[in-house]
Amino acid sequence: MTDNTTDAATPADEVNLGKHRAAEEAETIVHETSRERETLLKVTDLVKHFPVKEYSGLFPKTLQTHAVDGVSFDLAKGETLGLVGESGCGKTTTGRLVTRLLDPTSGSIEFEGRDIAQLKEKELRPMRRDMQLIFQDPYGSLNPRFTVLKIIGAPLEIHGLVPKNKIKARVQELLELVGLNPEHVNRYPNEFSGGQRQRIGIARALAVEPKLIVADEPVSALDVSIQAQVMNLMGKLRKELGISFVFIAHDLGIVRHFCDRIAVMYLGKIVEMGDREDIYEKPQHPYTQALLSAAPDLNVVRGAEPGERIRLVGDLPSPINPPSGCRFRTRCWKAQEICAAEEPLLTPAEGKPEHTIACHFPEVKSDLVVEVDAS
Amino acid sequence: MTAGPGGVNETLQEVSAVEQSTGSAGALGDPDQGKSGKSQEGRSPFQIAMARLRKDRIAIICAVVVGVFILMGILAPVLANLEGQSPTETHYDLVGNDTLPTFYTNSQHWLGVTSSNGYDVFARFVYGIRPSFLIAISAAVLSTVIGVIMGMIAGFFGGWVDQVVGWLVDFVLSLPVLLMAIAMVPVLSQLLVGNAPSQSQTQMIRILVLMIVLVGFGWAGPCRLVRGEVLSMRQREFVQAARSLGAPTSRVLFKEILPNLTSIILVSITTALPAYIGIEAGLSYLGVGLTLPTADWGLDISLAQVQMQNFALPLLVPLIGLLVVVLCLSLLGDAISDAFNPNTRR
Repeated sequence: MTDNTTDAATPADEVNLGKHRAAEEAETIVHETSRERETLLKVTDLVKHFPVKEYSGLFPKTLQTHAVDGVSFDLAKGETLGLVGESGCGKTTTGRLVTRLLDPTSGSIEFEGRDIAQLKEKELRPMRRDMQLIFQDPYGSLNPRFTVLKIIGAPLEIHGLVPKNKIKARVQELLELVGLNPEHVNRYPNEFSGGQRQRIGIARALAVEPKLIVADEPVSALDVSIQAQVMNLMGKLRKELGISFVFIAHDLGIVRHFCDRIAVMYLGKIVEMGDREDIYEKPQHPYTQALLSAAPDLNVVRGAEPGERIRLVGDLPSPINPPSGCRFRTRCWKAQEICAAEEPLLTPAEGKPEHTIACHFPEVKSDLVVEVDAS
Repeated sequence: MTAGPGGVNETLQEVSAVEQSTGSAGALGDPDQGKSGKSQEGRSPFQIAMARLRKDRIAIICAVVVGVFILMGILAPVLANLEGQSPTETHYDLVGNDTLPTFYTNSQHWLGVTSSNGYDVFARFVYGIRPSFLIAISAAVLSTVIGVIMGMIAGFFGGWVDQVVGWLVDFVLSLPVLLMAIAMVPVLSQLLVGNAPSQSQTQMIRILVLMIVLVGFGWAGPCRLVRGEVLSMRQREFVQAARSLGAPTSRVLFKEILPNLTSIILVSITTALPAYIGIEAGLSYLGVGLTLPTADWGLDISLAQVQMQNFALPLLVPLIGLLVVVLCLSLLGDAISDAFNPNTRR
C-alpha cells in the first residue's frame, strides 16, 4: 500500500474512499447475518458527575454536573461505534471513562467480561495495553520535549513489549505502518505538520497492539484534505489489525463513512442508537432528525431541492440542573406533558431490536440525507 | 512554556529558516526530501531556544561580561598577587588619625586603601565577588529545586496537598524579609554557639542566616510558577496519553512533566541570581551578612562610605562592580526567558 504522506488530497484518496465504503458495507452485511457477535466492551448505566462549587451566600454549595448520566452500549470485536452529539453532551467524558482516565461515579464497564469500572490504578495498568486513546489535538497530545522515538517508544518501554535494543526498529516499523518516514525517529513534534502528528499519535496507540481504540474526534483539528488521509489510515488499520473503535465525532459525514453503529448523545444520555443505515436513513428521535437536517447537503449545490431544515431553538440546558423527564423536551417541537413527567427509556423500534430510541413520540423521517453518496 | 498557536508558528518558521540557512534538505512537512538530506536529527525546543539566544546580541554581551567577572573571581589570587596585596591584610600605618587613608592611590595600592583598617581596595574587589556568587548561586539552585518540587507536588496532586502548599507559600510571602534576617542573627547565634562565638563561628552563622533567608523566602516564587504550569499541563493531552499508556505516576511527573519545566527552571534561576547577589550585598552592608575581614562587596561599600566625600574610588569600585554584574545577569535572565517564550518577546 503506497500511502500518501504529503499533506495534499489526491484524486486517489477519493477513489480509495469509495472503494473503502464498498468493503465496509460488505463487512456490515457479514455482521448482520451472524449476529452472534463476540462482545469486547459492555458499558452499563455509566454515570459521571463532576462536583461544582456554587458560591451563593456565605457558604459554597456543592452541586453535581451530570456529564454522563446512565449510558449503556456494547461493542463487538472489530466493530466501530460512533458517538455523536453536540459539544458538551458528554461524548468525550464517555470516552475517557471507558479508557478509565476518569473514575466513573457508578455503572459498570465490562472489558472482555471483566468489570474495570472500579479498578484501582495499579490493577488497571496491565489492562491499559488493551485500550488506547487517540486524541483530538495533535499539537497537545505529543510531548514537545520528546523525539518521535521516545514518544512511540514509551509504551513499548512501559509495558516491556520489546527488548531495549529493538525499540528503535519497532518504532520505525510503526512509523512505516502509519505512512511516515521511518528515518524521522529523532525529530521532535514541532517539526511535523498536524496530519503527521496525528499519525504519530496513532502509531503510539498502535504500539501496544490494543484491542480497542477510543478515537476522540481524531480528525476535527485537521484540514479537510488531511482528514481523508487520516480516516483512510484508520480504516486500513482497522481492517488489517481487527481493532474495535469507539469513534467520537461531531462530523456526521465522517461518522457515516467510518462507523458500523451509531449512538446519538444529548446532555449525558444516549437518545438513539442503531446501525448506520437506521440512524441515517430512518432516524426516529427528533434530536437525531434535527442533527441530521443541520448537516450541509451537497446535493443542494448540485441543484437539488433543499430538504426540510429543522431549527432547534434555545441553548443546551445546563447539565447541573437537567430538565425533568425527557432532557430534550425544552427544545423539542413535539414536547407534551408526558415528556416533562416521565423519562423516556431506550426502547427498540418496531421490528428492529437493534435500533433503540428514547422518545415518547418516535416517528420515522427518512428525507434527511447527510453527505452525498460517492457512487 | 505555554506557547499559543502564534508561538508554535513562529517556532516552525524559525526551524525552517535555520534549516534553509544551513542548506539542509530536510524541510518541514516534506518527508520524502528528508531521505536525501544529510541530517535526520531533530532539534528539540531547548536547542531552538539556545539558537535563538545565540542570536541575541545583548544576551551575548551580558554573558561575556558576567563571564569576565566570574573569571576575575576564579583568578582572584593571581590578580591580587600581581598587585602584591592580600584582601584581608590591614595597613593601619596608611590610615591617619581621622580614620581616613593618608593617600589616594599609589603603585602598591592601585585603587587605594579603605578607611579605618586600611584594606587594599583592588584585592578586596577581585576577591569580593566570590562570596556573593557562591552564596547566590547555591541559594538560587537550592530555592529553585525546593520550589519546583513543591510546585510539582501541589499542581499534580491538587486537593488538600495543593491547599497546604498554597498556605505555606502565602505565609512565607507575608513575612518581612529584612526583619527576619536581622532578628535571626542573634537568635541563631545564641541557639547554636552560645554567648561568645569565635570569628569563624560568627561567619558560619552569618552564611547560614543568608542561606536561610534567601532559600526560605526564594522557593515561594518558583513554587507558584511551577504549580500553575503543572496544573495546566496535567490536563494537556500528552499527559493524559502517558496515563492511558499505563505510565506510573513517577514517570508522568519526572519524565513527561519535568522536561517541560526546563524553561521555568532556567528563568527562575537566572532571575534569582542577580536578586540574591543584591540581597547578599545589602544584608552584608547592613551588618547582618558577612563580617570582616572577609572580602565582600557589600562590606566594602559600608567601609568606604565614610570616606566618600574625601575620596570616592573605594566606594565606586564595588558599587559599579555590583551594578554591572546585577544588571548583566538580569538582562541575561530576561534574554533567556524571551528565548524560551517567543510570545513574550518585545
